[in-house]
Amino acid sequence: MSSHREAPEISKDPVADSTDVYAFVSPNKPDTVTLIANYIPLQEPAGGPNFYEFGDDVLYAIHIDNNGDGYADISYEFRFSTQVLDENTFLYNTGPIEEINSPYFNRRQFYDVTVVSGSSRNTIGYNLASPPCNIGPLSTPNYSVVADQAIHNLDGVLVFAGQRAEGFYVDLGSIFDLGDLRPFENLHATFGLPTLPARPGVDATNHLNVHSIAIQVPISAVTRHGHPTIGVWTTASRQHATVWDADNGQNVSSGPWRQVSRLGNPLVNEVINPLGKKDLWNTLPPSDDKRFAEYVTHPGLAALLPTLYPGVFPELATLVASGKPRADLEAILLTGIPKGIVPGFTNYTGPVLADMLRLNTSIPPTPTDKQSIYGLLGGDAAGFPNGRRVRDDVVAIELRALAGVTYALVDKSYTPDAAASKLTDGLTPASVSASYLGSFPYLGVPYSGYYNPS
Amino acid sequence: MSSQDVQPQAARRLSRRSLLQGAATAGAAGLAVTAIGSAASPAFAATNRPAAAENHSDVPAHAGPIVVHVRDAKTGDIEVFSGTSKTRLRDKDLAARIARAIG
Repeated sequence: MSSHREAPEISKDPVADSTDVYAFVSPNKPDTVTLIANYIPLQEPAGGPNFYEFGDDVLYAIHIDNNGDGYADISYEFRFSTQVLDENTFLYNTGPIEEINSPYFNRRQFYDVTVVSGSSRNTIGYNLASPPCNIGPLSTPNYSVVADQAIHNLDGVLVFAGQRAEGFYVDLGSIFDLGDLRPFENLHATFGLPTLPARPGVDATNHLNVHSIAIQVPISAVTRHGHPTIGVWTTASRQHATVWDADNGQNVSSGPWRQVSRLGNPLVNEVINPLGKKDLWNTLPPSDDKRFAEYVTHPGLAALLPTLYPGVFPELATLVASGKPRADLEAILLTGIPKGIVPGFTNYTGPVLADMLRLNTSIPPTPTDKQSIYGLLGGDAAGFPNGRRVRDDVVAIELRALAGVTYALVDKSYTPDAAASKLTDGLTPASVSASYLGSFPYLGVPYSGYYNPS
Repeated sequence: MSSQDVQPQAARRLSRRSLLQGAATAGAAGLAVTAIGSAASPAFAATNRPAAAENHSDVPAHAGPIVVHVRDAKTGDIEVFSGTSKTRLRDKDLAARIARAIG
């Protein structure tokens, strides 16, 4: 997955577990960028009576580096607080929630938004309401109406924090079964087990929800003059010390905030970093990523592909055996793509190796009907790895890059294997049942528990 | 700021006595003491009645919990967490008193 349950320790702490980050020039408001950070992976919509919510004890942040040093120049921090109207009931809601301030909305969350820049801290929103989870036709009969009331306009900055339909599509059941891709599983080595026939992919995250923190800000507020490319990532932090207060049946926390989760480019901590380094990586800023660069330049998954699919990737096998560093992957994931690699395009931020989602904000959004879900690989410079849009097929893009498609950009003598440019887990945005939205916050209305009980 | 850094201002706010007001739990790797607001737990009250009778008018009020982690009682290596700050102390006597306080 992009970053769902990607590291051993954070997988035990879903409230602080970032799952996806999106950054794109807003298609319906191109003088702004939309930044989305998702948390709390793999939510079963019927997961009541205590439905999913953000952590009051977690500091969530979306960071922007606009000078290429791998440190945040602007951070948007989100702190949540939960209020319960009636503690003498077990119910999340005591009647239909038909508006966001409904008296029947019993357990609700509010949040503050603070902009941090250098030593400056400016709280731009106080006690902003989050919507309820989508429960069903009796509890949340007009869910979209209530959710829309949870979009707050803070002097031109839009914010939303609440449940959304999972927009990231991936065939988890297949991929984590030893790198099996259903459309190509007839070619899989199968380790001596019976060969499987090729078949369509299955979207394992369909009908599941996440919790999204979304913010739409003017491009001019996050870029430096003459430097249109920004690096984006999200973090979640917890206070250093937590003690179970048995007298009150709750945790108490104290001390400095310590980062426990990080996410910039999709799948980096998931399938690039090794198991023993993932939780360490989660605690560090992007500026420290030089320590992990070897896993990008010599990715284990690229070495596995020729083994998993014998005879399908001979050129990749030769490249891996040569030991040459993958300068293409380093550019895509750690520095941005310099000028001269892809005609007319760059999102290079400098030599500092830092895993950030780099978005060149000067590239206008591509109309939806002309977008390629393969982003830059599909000739659409407004898509991943130039930022990331909600529909982009980051699984296929990164699989193809790992398989060598992009290596030809930095070594003209290299000819990628024919199969490399066809790699996919067999899914598209059409695999997602909940429609993406055409406007903020762009991710679809969450699935309700009533209609998606399992 | 690294975990080894000491914050002198925070250190001044935390007296030895304020650290000993709280309830206590002990772990194999070290000792952790937590003072939750101004209310000591019944377990602490039962084992620390003499201290509770002292005059604490000189103890600064803290809005949230104070968590004390005795990393190594023998060397007096202590971490104190309060609000969003952390103080690293080296105080063998304090560590010994905390250890005695929890029995």
